[in-house]
Amino acid sequence: MKTSCNHQSNCMKLIQKILDKEATSEEEATFLANKDQCLPCQEGYELELSLKKAIREKCVKKCPDSLFEQIRAKLFLLLILISILIPLLC
Amino acid sequence: MINKQHMEVQAEEKVIPPEKSRKIFEKEFMPHLDAMYNFALRLTNDEDDANDLVQDSCLKAYRFIGSFEPGTYAKAWLFRILKNNFINDYRKKSRGPSKVEFEWVEQSYAGEDDAEPAFQADLRAESVNEMMGDEITAAIQALPVDFRMIIILCDLEEFSYEEMAKILNIPIGTVRSRLHRARAVLKEKLANYAKKRGYGSDTLSDELELI
Repeated sequence: MKTSCNHQSNCMKLIQKILDKEATSEEEATFLANKDQCLPCQEGYELELSLKKAIREKCVKKCPDSLFEQIRAKLFLLLILISILIPLLC
Repeated sequence: MINKQHMEVQAEEKVIPPEKSRKIFEKEFMPHLDAMYNFALRLTNDEDDANDLVQDSCLKAYRFIGSFEPGTYAKAWLFRILKNNFINDYRKKSRGPSKVEFEWVEQSYAGEDDAEPAFQADLRAESVNEMMGDEITAAIQALPVDFRMIIILCDLEEFSYEEMAKILNIPIGTVRSRLHRARAVLKEKLANYAKKRGYGSDTLSDELELI
């Protein structure tokens, strides 16, 4: 197992590309084969994965229902007004 | 010639009857209201501003509904409108120091790929897993607006690089490098925080201020 990686900067880019589902299947296969032999790549992969997961799971602040309803109501009132006014003005 | 011009104008405007507009709006746009609100909240950092931004963007979307092509990804189209709205407001409001920050960020991408992060943050997956949502949110909130935006679009909303390029109106190569750099800065902030917490006697809010 390698404890240092000579092309870590490129590997980190590739890891992100894979986790973002933007890598080709060849790129992914090459990386996965290499990962087992390279400790920094393994750690890098785990880190990027946990970061992505943390952002997805912990940073969603759902729109409060009351506010959501308020936006919806206001919006629909405006939309109705617009759709009545536009034909009148034209 | 006159005929051709006439046809082009018609194609651009594509007037849609109000009844149909409302239907498209309800069916295609309303399901994304939650995601829009979350994006607006992350951008503005303020509930009232987020509320205004979502409403303005929805009205704009309704006004330009003729240029929305049914069957295409409505969420990306809406996010693009929201982002443009935000940037316009942001430019108008920020006559203070934050304007410098934004322009600096934009400029630093002009060259591209050489914007390689020089450091590899000393951060472990375990530390990230232990962190609370508030800590991660605060670190994201502390990023320059361009970095914040791209991380949210990618990691939270799971847009593809191509969709992000369209939303942000930048080349796909810039999406890649900006995202890479944004993550490097985010990791550095989190690493600093994890390190401080290791020694930690300060309160959480004190530490977050230092990030």
